[in-house]
Amino acid sequence: MLTFNTLLAISLGYVVMLFGIAFWAEHRANAGRLGWLRSPIVYTLSISVYCTAWTFYGAVGSAARNGLEFVTIYLGPTLVFIGWWWLLRKLLRIGRAQRITSIADLISSRYGKSTTLAVLVTLLAVIGSTPYIALQLQSITLSFSVFAEDGGNANYTAFWVAVGLAVFTIVFGTRNVDANERHHGVVTAIAIEAIVKLLALLSVGIFVVWGFAGGLPEIFAMASDNMLNTETIFTSRWITLTFLSAAAIITLPRMFQVMVVENADEKHLATASWAFPGYLLLMSLFVLPIAIAGNALLPAGSNPDLYVLTVPLNQGKDTLALFAFLGGFSSATSMVIIAAIALSTMVSNHIITPLWLSFSPSRTATSGDIRSVLLLSRRLSIAGILLLGYFYFRITGGSAALASIGLIAFAGTSQVMPSLLGGLFWRGATRSGALIGLSAGSFVWAYTLFLPSFEGAFLLSNSVIENGLFGISALRPYALFGLSDYDPLVHSMFWSMTINVFLFVTVSLLSTPRPLERIQSSQFVDVFRLNTEIGGYLVSRTATSEDLFTLAQRILGTNPAHRLFSDMALEQGKTSGLPDPTDDFVQKIERELAGSVGAASAHAMVSQIAGGGTVSVDELMKIADETAQIVEYSQQLENQSRRLEESTHQLRHANTRLTELGAQKDAFLSQVSHELRTPMTSIRSFSEILRETDQIDSEQAQRFLGIIQEESQRLTRLLDEILDLSHLESGRGNLKIEDVNLGEVVERSINSTRGLIAEAGVTITLNLPEKPVIVSASFDRLSQVFINLITNAIKYGHTENPQITITARAIGKLALIGIRDNGKGIPAKDFDKVFEKFARLSESALAGSAGLGLPISREIMRNLDGSLTLEPSKHGAVFRVSLPLAKT
Amino acid sequence: MNTPQKPDLAKSAYRRKKIKDAALVLPLLGAFLLASPIITVFATDGYIFGLPLPFVYIFGVWMFLVIAARRLARLLSEP
Repeated sequence: MLTFNTLLAISLGYVVMLFGIAFWAEHRANAGRLGWLRSPIVYTLSISVYCTAWTFYGAVGSAARNGLEFVTIYLGPTLVFIGWWWLLRKLLRIGRAQRITSIADLISSRYGKSTTLAVLVTLLAVIGSTPYIALQLQSITLSFSVFAEDGGNANYTAFWVAVGLAVFTIVFGTRNVDANERHHGVVTAIAIEAIVKLLALLSVGIFVVWGFAGGLPEIFAMASDNMLNTETIFTSRWITLTFLSAAAIITLPRMFQVMVVENADEKHLATASWAFPGYLLLMSLFVLPIAIAGNALLPAGSNPDLYVLTVPLNQGKDTLALFAFLGGFSSATSMVIIAAIALSTMVSNHIITPLWLSFSPSRTATSGDIRSVLLLSRRLSIAGILLLGYFYFRITGGSAALASIGLIAFAGTSQVMPSLLGGLFWRGATRSGALIGLSAGSFVWAYTLFLPSFEGAFLLSNSVIENGLFGISALRPYALFGLSDYDPLVHSMFWSMTINVFLFVTVSLLSTPRPLERIQSSQFVDVFRLNTEIGGYLVSRTATSEDLFTLAQRILGTNPAHRLFSDMALEQGKTSGLPDPTDDFVQKIERELAGSVGAASAHAMVSQIAGGGTVSVDELMKIADETAQIVEYSQQLENQSRRLEESTHQLRHANTRLTELGAQKDAFLSQVSHELRTPMTSIRSFSEILRETDQIDSEQAQRFLGIIQEESQRLTRLLDEILDLSHLESGRGNLKIEDVNLGEVVERSINSTRGLIAEAGVTITLNLPEKPVIVSASFDRLSQVFINLITNAIKYGHTENPQITITARAIGKLALIGIRDNGKGIPAKDFDKVFEKFARLSESALAGSAGLGLPISREIMRNLDGSLTLEPSKHGAVFRVSLPLAKT
Repeated sequence: MNTPQKPDLAKSAYRRKKIKDAALVLPLLGAFLLASPIITVFATDGYIFGLPLPFVYIFGVWMFLVIAARRLARLLSEP
């Protein structure tokens, strides 16, 4: 038989080994050689902190009492983990993006960084965890007492265990102020402990099955009937327990700590999703055989919670029992260490820091090192929590069965579940809903399960437990509203969850979330859709970089703050000095600080400096305004681009026109040279003949000279016309404008062309108003136009019986003159061409005409503020001249 | 899976969607098998290979879930 002192020595040796491993891991991590320290296996093993002494000893106890029911405590987590893609993945992603430090921080952050909610969840966690910590102390002292028949004071044992755990936790759990940073030493030690407890339980199980009974069927043959009672296997309690354990794995502070906060890589979760259920499967595989063996071997009245130890001892396997003892010791210590870290973070961040901030509102800017205050408060919290656990252990005296204490704690922390799930998946969940649902659920839990568990010793007297508050039987804690036929746990879970969920949903539907809540809700619910780098809105821009730096320095420490600020400065493109306090930067600071002090406190601190950073309605309006401005701006842009398109179109059109004009000009030039060359050629050849031929008679010479003269005249006329046209086109025509009688001009024009008219045998019909029409024009120029038009009509309008009709009338302020021939007319497609220079319409053009008549006429009319157009007509060509009447 | 040729994009997207669906269905299946009246169908007084039927059923389903989860985790972790 082992003595108490041997056992103590072995335990101390084991603890020293853990310290050593933790130190070594920290050292390695600091040197940057993480290696397998951050592997998925270590992550999975650290999650096994779920399996506490309650699991290690209590599961066998539960199996001895209730048969297979104990597996429900493992089935819930199994279902949660194999459904990791649904929930845990999102939880991890949010935890990382928002730098969440605890479950209280998560809830607070989701519901608008609410301090009230953080405090509520923290209190609930402390109330739920204290009995649980007491339970671990109890299991350690119980296991000591099994070995040491000479006793040893159980209270002393518990006290010194608590002190030792506090020291370990403080040394390795508060090395850094950043609670978001991973505690490599702790996690590695926990992983080693996870292996120890698994191997210990497996060893005992294998010994029992094959060493003692001789095989699985043999051990089951020993089972008493009630252990495998199949009728009671699937009951409301079965479902409740499965649900409870599923909720617990998500909401227990220590589980959140190892799963989310200590997670190094999201990918590790994929491994844990099957490896952790596998671990649980192995942990529970031999629970039933050990319980059966215990029932068969040990005398009635032995504590089934200690079968893991007493069965090997009974069989004289001291070493195996010692191994089992270490397994139980590992389970208990790992739970206490992680729970203390998680709870101290919560207490320090959500209770002590806000209190400290509110008592000294100006201190963030002026007082000393917040960093040391934070570390101190966290260390004190650890000591306080362990002390609380110790006192609970002293008060309850370790009477209650292990399993029931554990379940009460589970039920308490699971009250966070509705607000958590609602917060992750339902955007409409509000702070008020979470606050009211959570408080009401916790209250019902306390009234129907937690307080009655003291059996009259705390707050609720025995008479209240039996007869209800104020003697009202509807308010009996174990039979609320007359629901009496159920197990107390099922009963409590039913009422607390019903009321919790109902109020949470109803109040959420009825209340309006604050702006910050809305922002946070989308940050949480849509975490996979958002770029994690862009988060939150912090509108105020009054913060100075110096103030922020001072704050960051105090909380993060000088070097990390320095690194953070210089990184940001570099990112902003500054090679030296502090970065600009942009919104991005202020947000980043806030998030970094949140890693140390929690979202609500960080928000409060930064807002203090940034000047009221909570987003007010005004500021939201401003954001909305900015959005509106952006919309307006984009509309303007659109308009401009449309205008740009239009002008591009016009430019393109103009360009085409210019190209055409260029081509016309080229054509004009080649026409001009052609036109000039023809007379020049004849002049040159005739003059050459005259010079080189001696025997030319004078008659012939006379004829040649005549041709030369005629050609020269034509040449001059052509050059005159070109000159005239270019003058007119450039607006340098210098026309002498006077009052002119239209009738006289027409008469003069007909007289000038009388020769041509007679030659072609054209009949001219004049159709002038009796009252003389006086126009404002240049007499000579206007008659030039008419002569041109008449000549044109004679030339092109040739038929058998050619007729030209000239009509004139005054309409309004205009005089309109029409000149019509009865020729074959001009096709509509040629209307524009007619006025082009040198345009000769088809073959009917007569030789000798340079083709400049109509363009010149049109230019003249334009210079006279009138116009010359070709009218569409069925018979013959109709030219219309319009020009202003003289002002009388 | 390790075939060298590149898989058809639409096909692999469809396959991935199926895997995600399976990841959502697996816990539901687990809950149905382990926390619904279906247990009472198997949890009878019988024995199989000398082991009580409820024990075999629960641990059998459990093991199946672990193996299925492992397979799914592998598939989901593929890029």
